[in-house]
Amino acid sequence: MDTVAKPQYDNGVVKYLTVGAIVFLVLGTFMGTFAASQLAWPALNFDIAEITFARLRVMHTNTVIFAFGGMTLMATAFYTVQRTNGVKLWSNSMAWWTAILFTIGLLAVVVTISLGMTTGKEYHEQEWPLAIAVAVVWTLYTFNFVMTIASRNKETHPNVYVSNWFFLGMMIAITYLYVVNGLAIPVSLFRSYSMFAGVQDAMIQWWWGHNAVGFFLTAGFLAIMYYFVPKQAQRPIYSYRLSVIHFWALMFGYVWLGAHHLQYTALPDWTGSLGAVISLAMIIPSWGGALNGMLTLSGAWDRLRTDYILRFLIISLAFYAMSTFEGPVMASKTVNALSHYTDWTVGHVHSGALGWVAMVSIGALYHMVMKLWNTEMYSMKLINFHFWLATIGTVFYIVAMWVSGIMQGLMWRAYDEYGTLAYTFAESVAAMHPYYAMRALGGLLFFSGAAVMLYNVVMTIRMANAKATSQVGAHA
Amino acid sequence: MSNLEQYLSTDWSAMTGQDWAGLIITVLVFLGMLITFWMTLRPGKRKELEEEKYKILKDD
Repeated sequence: MDTVAKPQYDNGVVKYLTVGAIVFLVLGTFMGTFAASQLAWPALNFDIAEITFARLRVMHTNTVIFAFGGMTLMATAFYTVQRTNGVKLWSNSMAWWTAILFTIGLLAVVVTISLGMTTGKEYHEQEWPLAIAVAVVWTLYTFNFVMTIASRNKETHPNVYVSNWFFLGMMIAITYLYVVNGLAIPVSLFRSYSMFAGVQDAMIQWWWGHNAVGFFLTAGFLAIMYYFVPKQAQRPIYSYRLSVIHFWALMFGYVWLGAHHLQYTALPDWTGSLGAVISLAMIIPSWGGALNGMLTLSGAWDRLRTDYILRFLIISLAFYAMSTFEGPVMASKTVNALSHYTDWTVGHVHSGALGWVAMVSIGALYHMVMKLWNTEMYSMKLINFHFWLATIGTVFYIVAMWVSGIMQGLMWRAYDEYGTLAYTFAESVAAMHPYYAMRALGGLLFFSGAAVMLYNVVMTIRMANAKATSQVGAHA
Repeated sequence: MSNLEQYLSTDWSAMTGQDWAGLIITVLVFLGMLITFWMTLRPGKRKELEEEKYKILKDD
C-alpha cells in the first residue's frame, strides 16, 4: 500500500486557464479566418479602421500566440509542475493574480491594436505600458514555477522531470528576449521609439521574432509533449536520454537562427549564413525530439484507432517534424531567394502554428479537462470530428499557401526577352485569388473544430458539475 | 596560398571585441554540447537517466 499521501493540487487556477485558452482559441481562429477572407474578398474590410486587415491580422496573431498559446502554457505548466514534483503550487494566490492580470493585459493588447496603437514590431506590437505589464506578469509566472520546483521534497523527488526543464528554458529565454527587444524611449503614453536603429533594430527584432517561435512556440510546447504524450499513451517516453540531448541542443542552438529572416538585406552576409547553417543543424535535435514522441507509441500504435486525444498529440509531432524540416530549407539562401516575402512563409508558419502548436495544445487541453473535472468527455465522437476538421483545415491552408507562395516567387522573378518584368505586382495579386479563397476555407474548417471543442468542453463541465451536485445530494 | 587556405585564413589583428565575444561564445557552446553528449550517452548513466521516465506515469 502506498503510504505517501498525494497532495491536494491547486486545480482552480488551472481550470480557469484551461477554459480561457479554449475561448481564446475560438476567438483567435475566428479573427484569422475573417482576416483571410478579407484578403480573398476585400469588401469585408467594410472601411472600418478598427477591423481592417492591417489591424485584424495583428489582433489575430496576438490572440492565438499570446492569449491562446500563453494561457495553454500557463495552464499546462501549473498542472504539470505540481504533479511531476509532488507538491502544490508555491503560491496559489500568485498564480491567480498571474492568470487574471494576463487575461486583462491581453484583452488590452488586442483593443489597443484595433485602435491603431502599435510599435510596428512583429510579435511585439504592444506599446510600452502594456509591454511592461506583460513582462511583470511573465516574471510572476516564472517565479512561481521556479519556487514550486524548489519547494518539492528532495527525498521523494530528487530529480526534476524533463518537461520542467523545457518550461524553464522557455521562461528564462523569453524574459530576456522580450525585454531586450522591447527597450524603447517613450514619448507619450501610447507612443515609443525603439532604442535600436537601422540594421541593429532589424537584427534585434528577428533575434526576438524567431526565438518567440523557438522558445515560446517550440520549447514550451515540447514541455507539453514530454508530459502529455506519455500520460495519454500510458507509456513512458521512448528515450529519456534523447529528451535531455533534445533540450540542450535546443537551448544552445535556437538563439542563433534569427538572422535567416534577413537574408539579402543590409545585414552582414555572414550573419545570414550563420543563421542558415544553424537552422539546418537544428533539424537533427528537432527530428530526434519528434521521433522520441512518436516512438513512445512503439508496440501500441493500435491505440490511435480509438484514442482521439492521442491522435491530436501524435499528428502534432508529424507536423512538428515537417515544419522543422521546411523551416531550415527556407532559411538557406538559395530557397530563401524564392520564398521570402511570399505566402510560402505564411504557409510554413501555419504548418507549425496549426499543425504543431494548436494540435499538441488541443490534445493536452482535452486530457486536462477530463482529469481536472474527474470525468469522461461529453462526446468522444465530437473529439474525432474536431480532429478531422482541424487536420483537413490545416492541410487545406498549407497546401494553398505552398502553391500561391511558389507561384508568387516565380511571377516576381520572371523576365521577358527584353529583360523587363513579365508580370506586374497587381497581376501576381490577382493570380492569388483562388488560393486565398482556399486558405479561408481551411481557416473556417479549423475555426469550426475549435467551436466544436468549446461546445464539447462546456457540456463536459456542466455534466461533471451536475454529477458532483447529485452525489452531494445523495450523501446529504 | 591555395583557395582553401585563403578561405580559412583569418586576419586576427582585425578582430573587434564583438568578434572575439562571438568566437568565444561559439566555442563554449560547442564544448557545452560535447559535455552534454558525454554526460548523457555514457553507458554508466543509462539506467539512472532512463528510470526518470517511469515516474510521471504514477504521479496522479
